[in-house]
Amino acid sequence: MSELLKFSPSPHIHTSRTTPGAMAHVLIALVPAVFCALYFFGLPALWVLLVSISTCVATEWLITKYMLRRPLSINDYSAVLTGVLLALNLPSNLPLWMVAVGAVIAIGIAKMAFGGLGCNIFNPALVGRVFLFISFSAAMSTWPLPDAGFGDADGATGATILSLVKMGQSTAEFTPQDMILGNMGGSMGEVSAVAILIGLVYLLVTKVVSWHIPGAILLGLAFIDIMAGYPVGIDIVSGGFLLGAVFMATDYVTSPMTKRGMLFYGFMIGVITASIRRWGIYPEGMSFAILIMNGATPLINRHMRPSRFSPRQRKEVAV
Amino acid sequence: MQTVIYTIVVLGVLGLVGALVLYLTAKRFHVEEDERISRIEDLLPGANCGACGRNGCHDFACACVEKGSLEGLVCPGASAGAMDSVSEILGVAPAADRERFVAVLKCNGSCTVRPRVYEYDGAESCAVMDAVGVGRSGCAYGCLGCGDCVGACRFGALSINRETGLAEIDPQACTGCGACTAECPRRLLELRPVGRRERRVWVACSNRDKGAVARKVCAAACIACGKCSRECPFEAIDVNGNLAYVDAAKCKTCGKCIGVCPTGAISATFAPAVVNEKI
Amino acid sequence: MRNTFKKGGIHPEAHKEASRGIELLKLPRKAVVPLSQHIGAPARPVVSKGDKVRRGMLIAENSAFVSAGLHAPISGTVAEIVPVALLWGKSTQAIVIEADEEEHRADTELRQEYWANMIPGESDRLLSERLSPEEIRRKVSEAGVVGLGGATFPSHVKLDVKSEARPEMLIINGCECEPYLMCDDALMCAYPGRIVEGVELMMKAAGIGKAVIAVEDNKPEAAASLSAALDSAHDISVRVLKTKYPQGGEKQLVEAVTGRRIGSGKLPASVGAVVHNIATAFAVWQAVATGQPLIERVVTITGDINPQERKNYIAAIGTPFNEMPFTLPASPKIIVGGPMMGRAAVRLDAPVMKGTSGLTVLDAGVKPNVRACVRCGACVDACPMGLEPYLISTYGRLRMWDDAYAAGVSDCLECGACSYSCPSYRPILDYIRVAKQRCKR
Repeated sequence: MSELLKFSPSPHIHTSRTTPGAMAHVLIALVPAVFCALYFFGLPALWVLLVSISTCVATEWLITKYMLRRPLSINDYSAVLTGVLLALNLPSNLPLWMVAVGAVIAIGIAKMAFGGLGCNIFNPALVGRVFLFISFSAAMSTWPLPDAGFGDADGATGATILSLVKMGQSTAEFTPQDMILGNMGGSMGEVSAVAILIGLVYLLVTKVVSWHIPGAILLGLAFIDIMAGYPVGIDIVSGGFLLGAVFMATDYVTSPMTKRGMLFYGFMIGVITASIRRWGIYPEGMSFAILIMNGATPLINRHMRPSRFSPRQRKEVAV
Repeated sequence: MQTVIYTIVVLGVLGLVGALVLYLTAKRFHVEEDERISRIEDLLPGANCGACGRNGCHDFACACVEKGSLEGLVCPGASAGAMDSVSEILGVAPAADRERFVAVLKCNGSCTVRPRVYEYDGAESCAVMDAVGVGRSGCAYGCLGCGDCVGACRFGALSINRETGLAEIDPQACTGCGACTAECPRRLLELRPVGRRERRVWVACSNRDKGAVARKVCAAACIACGKCSRECPFEAIDVNGNLAYVDAAKCKTCGKCIGVCPTGAISATFAPAVVNEKI
Repeated sequence: MRNTFKKGGIHPEAHKEASRGIELLKLPRKAVVPLSQHIGAPARPVVSKGDKVRRGMLIAENSAFVSAGLHAPISGTVAEIVPVALLWGKSTQAIVIEADEEEHRADTELRQEYWANMIPGESDRLLSERLSPEEIRRKVSEAGVVGLGGATFPSHVKLDVKSEARPEMLIINGCECEPYLMCDDALMCAYPGRIVEGVELMMKAAGIGKAVIAVEDNKPEAAASLSAALDSAHDISVRVLKTKYPQGGEKQLVEAVTGRRIGSGKLPASVGAVVHNIATAFAVWQAVATGQPLIERVVTITGDINPQERKNYIAAIGTPFNEMPFTLPASPKIIVGGPMMGRAAVRLDAPVMKGTSGLTVLDAGVKPNVRACVRCGACVDACPMGLEPYLISTYGRLRMWDDAYAAGVSDCLECGACSYSCPSYRPILDYIRVAKQRCKR
C-alpha cells in the first residue's frame, strides 16, 4: 500500500463545536444590542465601535507577532468580541482616543500580558472599561441622551437611572417602556433590555452558555434588593446589569468550570452588584462585581469540584 | 497646623508599631544559616535538576556543610573547578577526580533504516505516542523523536535531529544529571562514563524482539547474534533478552565489536580505527 | 422516562449506517491466530509446524486460570508459529494455518450449513436445566469464550461467581453506545432466541436468578425482537435505556439499570451485579448448545466507505483485514472498534481477533488546529466519572503524577468524552492516558 494509514490516539471523532464558533455565536447574539446602540446613539456610536474593534484586533496582532512571536490568534474572533463588548460598555460620546486607550489596556494588559486567550484572570473588556472609568471618570459618566434614528447626536446629556437614584432624585421621567426598550441614558449596549434578552435566548438555544450564571446573578440581585426594599424590576433593566449578566459574566475564560461553581459565582455577582448600587458610593457596580468574582474564580474552581462518580477515597498517594 | 501634627504623630506611631511587629517577627522566625551554604550554592549550576539525589541545589549545599566534607556527595552538573572551590570552602582536600557521565541514546533507528509505517496525527509528545502505540516506525522500543527529553534537559544538551528523527546529545553540554533518562517513556537514554579520551562504545538499540522481528522494523536493530560478544577480548558484552549490552566497566573501547556487528547497532564516539585496518 | 446514567456523557452522531443483516464473510485460505487475544496469560500452543488441524480443533490451551484456549478457525496445515504484527503494530506469537483447495471448500460448506440451521432450528429449552453450572462453565472454558465487548476477559472466570459475593442481577450489555458499530445490534435482531438461551445458560452458570438485557433506545428493532423472544417463563427482562455515550461502560451501565454506583476500583459484584456483553451470551449459547468454539464473530465494517460496503459480517478469527471487501477513502484512518475508544490500525494485513468488534474507516482529512483551553468546562460536563479532565490532562503534561492521582486519574475509563467535547480540539485524553499509565506503575 503506497498511502500510509493515519494514526492518532482515540477518540477519533469530534464535536462540531469549536472555540471560534462559540465566539462567533456570541457575536451574533450581540447583533441586536449593537443595532440598538446604533439606533439610539447614531453615528458617534458607530465610531466608538469601529475604533474599539480595530484597536483590539490590531493590539492582539502586534503583540502576537512582535512580542510573543506566536502563531496569530486573531482568527479565533476573541479580540473582535472583546472590542464589541468594550464598545458596548462605553458612552457613545467618549473621545475616540480614550476608546483606543481602553482597547489597548483590555487586550494588552488584561489578556495578552497573562498569556493570551484562556490565560487571563479578568474579563478583558471589563478591565478596559474600569480602567477608563477610574482614569476619566467625568467623561465616562456623561451619558448622551438617546436620539432615535441615525442622525447626529445633538450633544444633550443626562443622568442614568442609577445615578439619579444615587443622588436621591426621582426616576419618574423614565417610563417602563423606555427602560425596557432602552430609550434612556447609559452605555451604548446596556440601554436596551429587549435586545440583550434576544441575545440571551440565542445563546441558550445554541447552548453556548448555560442558564446557571445569568440565573444566579438575577437571584443574588433580587435577594439584596428585596432585603433593601428596592424594586427588583428597575434594578434589572437599569445600568449594565443585563449586559453584564448575559455577556460579561458568562465569559468562559473567567467564569468557573463546574455548574455548582457557576451558581455560586453568579449569586455573588448579583449580591455584590446590588450592594454597591444600594450602599456603595458608585451608582453602578456590575463591572466591579464581575471583576471581583473573576478574581475569585480560581478559588471557586479549586473548592467547588464536580462530585465524583465514585466518592473520593482517602488513600495514600502513590509515589 | 494641628492637623499636620496629628497626622505626623498618628503615622509615626503606626510606623513604629509596624516596625516593631516586623522586628519581632524577624527575630522570632530567624533561622541561623551557615554563610558557607549560600557561598556553595553560588558555585553550583542552580538548575535544581535533582541528579545529586537532593531536593535541588540549596539542599545539596546544606548537605555539604552539614557533613563537612564531599564524601558521597556528587554534583554531576558542576565543573571540576567548581567542586574544588566547594572543597576549599569546606576546608577539605579536593575530591579525587570523579568519573563524569554523559547520556547516550540507545537507538540508532534513523528515518532511512527505520521507515515510517504510518502518519501520526496526534499530540506531539513521546509520552502520548508511547501510551497508545508503537511509534511512527513500528518499532515498539525505539526513539519516538517527539523530543520529550529535549524539554527535560536544563543544560541545552539535547536536540532532535530533523534528518534522522532521533534525539541527539551534545556531550560537551551534557552534565550527566540524568533528567532525560527519567523523561524518556522508553528509557532509551543511559548515563555512561565519559571514558578515556572521550571514547565510548554502546549498543544503540533497545529492541528486545527476536532478531527476525526486530530486523523487520529496523535495519539497524540489534538482532542478538552474539558476534560482538564473541569478538570482545574483555568479555564486556553480554547478550541477554535478545539484546546485547556493553558493560562500561569492562569495555576498553577497542572498537572490535563495532566492525563485526552485521546491522551496525553498536555505536561509538570514535572511528573504530583498529578494526578498519584489519578489514 | 427512560433511565440512563446520571453524570456527564455525550451524544455523538450515531452513524449507525451499516445494513442490519449479517453476511458470511468467506473463509480465508490462510488464517493467523495470535496466541494472546484475551486479558491474562497467552494460550500455550498444542500443535506444531506441519500438523493437520480441523476447523474447531483446539490449537492452543489455557495456560493459567485467567487465560483462554484457541481453536482452528479453518481446517488445514499449521504452516508456522511466528511473531506477527497486529493491527496497531506490536508483534505477538501467532499460529498460522494454511488450507488447501479441498479443505477450504469443505469448510465453507459445513459453515454455510451451520449458519443456515441457526434460525429455524428447534431450541433446546431444557438445556440450561439439564446441565450443571460446572458443566456449563467447563464448556465455556473449552470453547475459549471471552468477553466480546472489547475487554476480552475470559468468560468462564467471570461466570465463576464466588458464593460470598451473591450477585442478584446479571446485566447483559446490548447498549453498543459506540457510534458506527452495529455488530451487537445486528446479532440481537438476527438471533434473539439464541441470545436469550445464552443468557439462561449464563444465569445458571453464575447462579444468578435474574437477568436484564439493556438496550439503548436508538435500537428499537433489537429491543423488540428480544422482547418477542422472551416469554413469561423467563426471569429475563429487556430494559430500554436512553441513548447516551458511554452507556456501555460497566459502571455507567450498572447505574443506569440498578441506580447503584460502583465505588472507585471496585467491580460490579460489589453492588450485586455481573455484566456480560450480548455477543458473549450468543457465544456461550454456541459453545454449549452447538459445541462450536469461539472461532467466528460478528464484525462491522462501516464508516466513510461506499454505502453498499457498510455491512456486518460473520468473520472467522484470523481472517486478515485486507481480505475484507471495502475501498479506502482518500486519507484513510482505520479504527479497530468504534471511533470513541477504538485504536487506529497501522496495518491491514493483521487478523481479526476475538475482541475485534469492527472496523470504522474514517477519512481523516486535515486535523484542525489545537487552540488554547478557554476553560469552558465542556470536558467537566462531559466526564461520566465526575473528574476534571482539563486538570488531570495538565498534570499529565507537566508530569505531576501525584496530583493526577489525587485528582482521580485511576477512575478514568478513557471513554474520550472529554477530548470529544473540547471546542479547542485539545488532546485532553492523550495526556490523561499518560498519567493513568504512570500512576498504575
